[in-house]
Amino acid sequence: MPLLEVSDLRTFFKTREGEVHAVDGVSFSVEEGKTLGIVGESGCGKSVTALSIMGLVQSPGRVVSGTAVFDGRELTTLSEGELEDVRGREIAMIFQDPMTSLNPTLTIGTQLTETLRRHLNMSREEAKKRAVELLEEVHIPDAARRLKDYPHRFSGGMRQRVMIAMALSCNPKLLIADEPTTALDVTVQAGVLDLLEELRLQHNMTMIIITHNMGVVAETADDILVMYAGQVVEQAPAVELFDRPEHPYTEALLGSLPDIERENVRNERLVSIPGRPPDLLVPPDGCRFAVRCKYAGIDDCDKIAPALREIRTGHWVRSTHPASERSAATVEAAR
Amino acid sequence: MSTDPRDTSFEAVHTSTAEVEEETLARSTHRRRSDFEDTLTRTAEGQGREAGGALPRASLWKDAYYRFIKNKASVVAAVAFVALLAFCIFVPIFSNEDPYAVDFSQAYEPPSLEHPFGTDQFGRDVFVRTALGGRVSFAIGFAATFAIMLVGITYGATSGFIGGKLDNALMRFLDALYGLPYLPFAILTLAIFGTVNFWTMVVALTIASWFTTARVMRGQIMTLKQNDYVRAAYAVGASRQRVLWRHLLINTLGIIIVFVFLELPGVILGEAFLSFIGLGINPPKASWGTLAQDGYTEYQVHPWLIVIPSLMIAWLILSAFFIADGLRDALDPRMKEA
Repeated sequence: MPLLEVSDLRTFFKTREGEVHAVDGVSFSVEEGKTLGIVGESGCGKSVTALSIMGLVQSPGRVVSGTAVFDGRELTTLSEGELEDVRGREIAMIFQDPMTSLNPTLTIGTQLTETLRRHLNMSREEAKKRAVELLEEVHIPDAARRLKDYPHRFSGGMRQRVMIAMALSCNPKLLIADEPTTALDVTVQAGVLDLLEELRLQHNMTMIIITHNMGVVAETADDILVMYAGQVVEQAPAVELFDRPEHPYTEALLGSLPDIERENVRNERLVSIPGRPPDLLVPPDGCRFAVRCKYAGIDDCDKIAPALREIRTGHWVRSTHPASERSAATVEAAR
Repeated sequence: MSTDPRDTSFEAVHTSTAEVEEETLARSTHRRRSDFEDTLTRTAEGQGREAGGALPRASLWKDAYYRFIKNKASVVAAVAFVALLAFCIFVPIFSNEDPYAVDFSQAYEPPSLEHPFGTDQFGRDVFVRTALGGRVSFAIGFAATFAIMLVGITYGATSGFIGGKLDNALMRFLDALYGLPYLPFAILTLAIFGTVNFWTMVVALTIASWFTTARVMRGQIMTLKQNDYVRAAYAVGASRQRVLWRHLLINTLGIIIVFVFLELPGVILGEAFLSFIGLGINPPKASWGTLAQDGYTEYQVHPWLIVIPSLMIAWLILSAFFIADGLRDALDPRMKEA
């Protein structure tokens, strides 16, 4: 049984113009001990999916339908109090911007021990001892003294380490990392990713890593979920996805990565995907990628929405013309 | 972490730099080389120290204190404020004058060594009476400011934290109250109570002036609510109450402190005004407002009777405003980088 099984999750945001379908029928599952990478461009619903699982979607947003079964428990129907016990204790989350994710008016120690005392009923001394251990675990030097420091005395990378320590403090089964490295320097990014992997193995944790950086998922994820306009468009094991991408969107995403080893690459232009994602107030009837897709218009995919189907074992795709089913004529026509 | 390939590449860079130096500066190679190493070690030590946190620890409040001290006008104002407070507290304790003893032979004495502020129509020493009046003014001011903070913060924080329809309703109600003019509102409240004493005065002033605090608090809470650390706190299982106290209200403390010093002079001025138009504390007790009102009738002949309490009020208001100004600069987190 998978540790987390999300099915047909829909989260809408009420606005003056109507309901924005931010997450529209997302289904996936994560096996225990695995890492799932969720990729997609800004606004495709990655973060909202994570927040929906945690029950942290704020008004005017709400989870309209769908289920999220975690460790045999249905999360979407839990009360606020029950959710509070799950958050931080069983599912932890780290956020994109470590510079703003710590309260500037409380010391690191206070913020770390609060979680411990809340979930594990530790005494002040026990919590303090554990907090020192945690800071050491995330490789912060002189941990005992650093507990008394305020967040502004930590650099971005250090703060993200503190956030990771906080997230891991109660040994959660699942860690959701929402763009954990986006706000960091490239060199620091590598360090933080290494640390996450090290701790994941140590604590035998399951992880969902949300990012728009293909490099990050390539390095960390076992399975990859590609999202577009609130829907899952492709899901496959990481190696398979990089080797044999099926959905035109995934292909385009991978195609837009510059290959620094190719000759004359400095004189080439960076490749981008033309057009913009559809307005999620009124999602198109057909395939949501149709307007930007090279292969659209050949069939009626821009009128009838394609369903997510398993094209190979473990490889799911939502397209009527995935790479392996395209005829030479189709490819020619697209040119 | 430390077995990272990047580390070795850095080492390679260092070695090659040293090698280049060796070649180009053949004669003083040895010296140069050791200098270079010295610099490297020293830098490393320096960085180690910083990462270890051996630098003097600066807390938020200590930082704020140093920033406040830098603002000369505010420091002068703070000294003036404390001096005024000390005057009101200590003069009646150490003075031999009886502030209530009537002696018509001494009436309307101009300021002298014996009576530094002169005497009033009953021959009472104005110096001691001013200090006593100051006690009343300060007491009403502090009590009313405290009450305003209590009501304003509760109302504003509730509105901002819960948001939605309740927020809308509470704020529209506040808008309606805003429409009512301040002093007539206070007068009306006093009229409803029928009597004027310390507590009715405090209540009247509070009712008339808690709106701004509530509005500012609501705005603060709404802004703070959007912070990532609030979301992060929810994500580790913090309850709504906990978030409100630990992450929102505590972060408004700076604003609250500034607001205390902004409300205090307003309230004291309001009290003085109410006293001046005859709705003040009953004689023989006095506040600065009632003292000024007593002096008003004689201002052409014995000007000190109105000038002195007026100066006291002005002194208090100016110093409080300058303190508020300094505190705002000192406690504003955006000033930290400067």
